[in-house]
Amino acid sequence: MAHRFPVLVRGLVVPAALLWLATVPAAGQARSAGARPGGSAAKAYTPPRTPDGQPDLQGIWSNTTITPLERPKGVTGEFFTPEEAIEAAKRAAAEEAEQTEPGTIADVHYDFTQFGLDRSQSAMALSLRTSLIVDPTDGKLPPLSEEGRRRAAERAAERKRRGGPHDAVQNEPLGARCILMDRNGPPMIGGAYNNDYQIMQAPGYVMILTEMLHDVRIIPLDGRPHLPPNVRQWTGSYRGRWEGQTLVVETTNLTDKFAFQGASENMRLTERFTRTDEDTIRYQFTVDDPSTWTRPWSAEVLWKKTTGPIFEHACHEGNYGLYNTLSGARAEEKRNAEEAAKKGSLK
Amino acid sequence: MRTRRASVAVAVAALLAAAPLLAHHAFSAEFDINKPIRLQGTITKWEMINPHSWFHVDVKDPDGKVVPWMIEGGSPNQLIKAGVTKKTLALGTELIIEGYQAKDGSNKAVGRNLLLADGSRLVLGGSAPDVPTTLEPPRK
Repeated sequence: MAHRFPVLVRGLVVPAALLWLATVPAAGQARSAGARPGGSAAKAYTPPRTPDGQPDLQGIWSNTTITPLERPKGVTGEFFTPEEAIEAAKRAAAEEAEQTEPGTIADVHYDFTQFGLDRSQSAMALSLRTSLIVDPTDGKLPPLSEEGRRRAAERAAERKRRGGPHDAVQNEPLGARCILMDRNGPPMIGGAYNNDYQIMQAPGYVMILTEMLHDVRIIPLDGRPHLPPNVRQWTGSYRGRWEGQTLVVETTNLTDKFAFQGASENMRLTERFTRTDEDTIRYQFTVDDPSTWTRPWSAEVLWKKTTGPIFEHACHEGNYGLYNTLSGARAEEKRNAEEAAKKGSLK
Repeated sequence: MRTRRASVAVAVAALLAAAPLLAHHAFSAEFDINKPIRLQGTITKWEMINPHSWFHVDVKDPDGKVVPWMIEGGSPNQLIKAGVTKKTLALGTELIIEGYQAKDGSNKAVGRNLLLADGSRLVLGGSAPDVPTTLEPPRK
């Protein structure tokens, strides 16, 4: 036999997903002893040290989550019970393994399951939180400031002025142009798939490689000042320091082109990485941008240890989709123009 | 308890509705919902590239003429982690592709469903090498 390839019928995928979920409650109970909502924290974990004495965050991690950034309508509690969280994860796994309805927009897509891209097939820490946002405690983004509202309106007007989403390559989203994805951030928040990161540490530095779109942050720990204010970068100017077991990274000098959740270039981001056990990093971040929101806000995502290798996500080189989208839009314009001309000549 | 069960159902449904899976770009802008296709052909090449992989497939038209098609699929990264290589799917394997043709009318399509000749679904992933085993307690 020349090749034995791992072909599975779909029926096997969902039971596999449920199998891992079945392992969750026992481990969860063991780990959450003494750490109920509002209670005292579990026994503090002390991570190993790197040769130069830093708490060791090294490894390959996944921040895949099914928890939305903002708490959905109809959910009032800050936390699910373990049973509810497991039920949500089972439902998510089952829904993602379902095939889409022919003739619907959602169906014009490849199938995630066929490529192992369901979230249930990725390393994922199940959180009891009902939203990633932890502050404000209602789990929602704070209200926009007056300047934030004005800028949102200006940005919407500018988008309109530039024409349709496929009129020019510059109108396409940053992700479709292989410039920046939400996994990059900053802050780094997982998307549908490929939510993997590799952390390496060297004396004086922490390096974080984001799988998608293969971007690297080399974070200096020596207390050097930020870049001058006139130097603006997609992922900003980032400087780190250790506070006990926690790596704290301050990021400034962003541009207004990424505009995380509508933020301005004045956004100041504070990220905290704390290894809470062998397999988990608690990633917390605070966004402070009075030019956009009436108050700072914070969120928390759990990163789960996973295996490598991380395959290079050379996005731009293989981005046939961008060409196809633009040529599809031109073909559609041509058809519409021909039909309009035909109608005109019939009058 | 009846009311509690109901509120859980609402909460779970809302949670799922709020965190959809979104791919790298809008496929409905690249492919035409009004041009569903079903092709049968043999694989001549599998480009395991990002952001999306592409299957090159030779399809015989009704006159027996061989027409090359390109079929868009998912990012290969997760598959590579699971040990899948471009040789996993042998050249010459017969595939049935259900999908939608490119808006520009070229012989390209998105493969919304890939089937083997015997009608079974092709699932290249499907195993879960890294499984969550902990339910992280919340922290205040």
